[in-house]
Amino acid sequence: MSRVTITVNGTPQTRDVEDRTLLVQFIREHLGLTGTHVGCDTTQCGACTIHLDGKAVKSCTVLAVAADGSDVTTIEGLADGSILHPMQQAFHEHHGLQCGYCTPGMIMASVDMVRRHDGVLDERTVRHELEGNICRCTGYHNIVKAVLDAAEKHRAAHAVAAE
Amino acid sequence: MNSPLKTAAPEEIIHPLKRLKSDSPELSPEMKLVQEALFKHVGKPIPRKEDGRLITGKGRFSDDFSLPGQTYAAIVRSPYPHARINGIDKTQALASEGVLLVLTGEDILADDIKPVPHNPVPSTNFDMKLRARDGSHAFTGPHYLLPSDKARHVGEAVAIVVAETAAQAADGAEKVMVDWEELPWVTDTAKAAEPGAPTIWDEVPDNVFIDTTFGDVEGTNKAFEAADHVVKGEFHIHRVTGVTMEPRSSLGSYDPETKRYTLYAGSGGAVRQKNELSKVLGIEPKDLRVLSFDVGGNFGTRNRVYVEFGLVLWASRKIGRPVKFTATRSESFLTDYQGRDLVVKAELALSKDGKFLALRSDNLSNVGGRAVSLSPLSKGSGLITGSYDIPFATLRARAVFSNTMCTQAYRSSGRPEVTYVIERMCELAADQLGFDKLELRRLNLVPPSSMPYTNAVGSVYDSGEYEKNMDRALELSDWATFDARRKEAATRGKLLGRGFANYVESSIGTPKERAEIEIKDDGNIEVIIGTQPSGQGHETSFAQVVADMIQVPVEKVWIVLGDTDIVSVGGGSHSGRSMRHAGTVMAMASADLLAEGRKRAAEIFGSTPDRIDFEGGVFKLRNSNQTIDIFELGRRTRAGHGPLRVVKDNEMHTPVFPNGAAVCEVEIDRDTGHVQIVRYTTIDDVGRCINPLIVHGQTHGGIAQGVGQAMWELCAIDPVSGQPLAGSLMDYGMPRSDTMPSFQCEIAEVFSPTNPLGIKAGGEGGTTPALATVVNAVVDALSEFGVKDIQMPVTPANVWRAMNSGRKAS
Repeated sequence: MSRVTITVNGTPQTRDVEDRTLLVQFIREHLGLTGTHVGCDTTQCGACTIHLDGKAVKSCTVLAVAADGSDVTTIEGLADGSILHPMQQAFHEHHGLQCGYCTPGMIMASVDMVRRHDGVLDERTVRHELEGNICRCTGYHNIVKAVLDAAEKHRAAHAVAAE
Repeated sequence: MNSPLKTAAPEEIIHPLKRLKSDSPELSPEMKLVQEALFKHVGKPIPRKEDGRLITGKGRFSDDFSLPGQTYAAIVRSPYPHARINGIDKTQALASEGVLLVLTGEDILADDIKPVPHNPVPSTNFDMKLRARDGSHAFTGPHYLLPSDKARHVGEAVAIVVAETAAQAADGAEKVMVDWEELPWVTDTAKAAEPGAPTIWDEVPDNVFIDTTFGDVEGTNKAFEAADHVVKGEFHIHRVTGVTMEPRSSLGSYDPETKRYTLYAGSGGAVRQKNELSKVLGIEPKDLRVLSFDVGGNFGTRNRVYVEFGLVLWASRKIGRPVKFTATRSESFLTDYQGRDLVVKAELALSKDGKFLALRSDNLSNVGGRAVSLSPLSKGSGLITGSYDIPFATLRARAVFSNTMCTQAYRSSGRPEVTYVIERMCELAADQLGFDKLELRRLNLVPPSSMPYTNAVGSVYDSGEYEKNMDRALELSDWATFDARRKEAATRGKLLGRGFANYVESSIGTPKERAEIEIKDDGNIEVIIGTQPSGQGHETSFAQVVADMIQVPVEKVWIVLGDTDIVSVGGGSHSGRSMRHAGTVMAMASADLLAEGRKRAAEIFGSTPDRIDFEGGVFKLRNSNQTIDIFELGRRTRAGHGPLRVVKDNEMHTPVFPNGAAVCEVEIDRDTGHVQIVRYTTIDDVGRCINPLIVHGQTHGGIAQGVGQAMWELCAIDPVSGQPLAGSLMDYGMPRSDTMPSFQCEIAEVFSPTNPLGIKAGGEGGTTPALATVVNAVVDALSEFGVKDIQMPVTPANVWRAMNSGRKAS
């Protein structure tokens, strides 16, 4: 057993965990934040994607002890109170989700993508970079539309901010 | 002996569309109102109400639920395709840390736990009637939660281990010692039906438990004799699996005080789970509550009962604590109900000018170790002639047991298979006889003037404008300018190919549905319905229907689903039934609700119901200024008349036939055989479209699943060991964002005359023609290599082999 402290969605969380506990298990089972999902056991599907110190990672492939002292954001921490994050809003408006199981991971991966590219994205790049997140419902069509729309809005917002 | 006459002439059921018009009853004023409803919301692309919780991490999926004192289950599974269980030693497992309970097939018999009553043979009035060879009802293989005799496929559950933690349960499962006796096995569909194949069930020594012939045998034979040409083809529409992103999960709990069981388990319909699992446990249905809220994908795989659902309930009673089981992805690959796996031999007779004269088809469906559902075979049986007017056809429909996981309806159950066959046959015929592929199709399409059209095996196509679909799909896809694109691709070393397919499919589904609608005091409308969405957006599209009928804003309508303590009757969601069945019964319930409202308003105004008008959610006394809002009416009359609430049951057997066409362009790399889809176009006649945003979404996902099967997906089995080779997402090829194109999709609305809203279905049309469309495009691209056919999936290895052999790749 090890004692770990991880700041999740702004709140430090200290727990005693078995050493083999995965970060996703820490989030789901120890903290009860069930928005982060488990879709496979081979780091293929991306349903468990969260932000670890600002970067999108698959939380099924990180041990909780390895994340000790880190800062984690999950899907539950993305919105600003009742105001949705622009990526959440875009997924809603473009019908970028159906069953909703891959959605938290898709959104977290997409937010990081827009950040890394500063909103400068095209369809090819979005499709290439979302390859590690599997969706069975949407055929990706509306997910790609949503990400491109959110990227466009990110660019516009930053252009205004720069003026 | 086969007895086609016995099965070809079932009890006399007159199709509603073939009855005289005068038979239809007069519509009530309310139903007329409903039919003429303003459609303020219906037809609009309203973003979904359910999204709010799903995009913020507040969904309620099965594994998200936990109960105090909860324990965890792991399953011991067969490592062999076919093996006798000579004994199971629990000693070591029970001594393992944290282990509380181990149960086996012997315990099932001791506790009198019954097999799952899957009822695999489709039985609505218009389903094809599948029977055993002698015409009797078929033996379908009992499905005990755990077998006591032998395992019939790799992954079959043979014991459950319950422990304090999931890890301890997994450790304990490894210590269950099974004394296995390996038996000869067969997994291949065609081989399982060959003489001398290993027997899966002693009751059916040759494994073929369904053997029915449909259609006019004599007429077909005569047409073949008179034909100028006969074209033959053999196809295997291979085994795939649903890969719902949420692995199946179940949490069972037994309350010794009330003697009631509770099950949290996402499925395709909680009511079916309740009814069948209560029979398994030998209890009254009222003593089992099933909760199914957010479901992370279904596609048919979750419609039937899984053994683990029964096991966690039974185990919970045994230890007096809740028991949870969540499958790993590998367990999902091994034991989620799988799809397709149909072997077809077809012959098409043509006249010299290209008219289709007759079709013979021999369809063999691999159901796996036992029959869970014959929906795929049955659905396909009614549609072997596709979108074409073929006067005579015969079908021999067989189903065979094998040492594989059971198959079930999977996205567009049975229809992509037969669509593949008829559309490939069109291509083969055109190629062999020198016809233009498209003109040959046009010549033979069922024209709108023939609707309702009875095909050669008795299915009645309700409506549709097939050639118009074809024209529109070709136009949208820029078919005419293909040559320029092909030349450009050639400059990059790529082979460009194009494929086209028409399709028609049937949507039947469980015939009964109930809607309960209540006007709540808080100004909302609550609708209780027994369908079970897994991403199809019922909470939005159903609300749109009720909002239009009762003429209130869509925000005020709330759909309640998925708790059997609230939802008493419900057919679940499959076969594209939901919007049609739920929409119809909700419309009828709305009509009843307005009739009741009219009565109550008349009482308040001191008048009679026939003098009350209803508009914009308000009852109004005609020629007066007296009005009352429907919510106010509910509040004011609650004391005297009870809640303003109706319950309506409806039963609809008549199938509808969604239809359309698809076009695909593929680019193949000359050196590697890699296939990339560069364009994909569809047109789908879904009947009335309630929410185009949602219907398009359904089409997109449907395309991806059809394309996935054609391109990558395969439940491969090692022919030497019988071991499944696809056990994780690393060895099963899924459609991914970088391997799929954006789509061009259009909806056509030819209203169905079979139901008051004119709905057909929108869930399966993307998938149905996709297999054929992709393969037609690949064969077209490879034409210069003399390739005439290719086995799916069209992986680079298969394509490269075809390019380099000039023959059908295997």
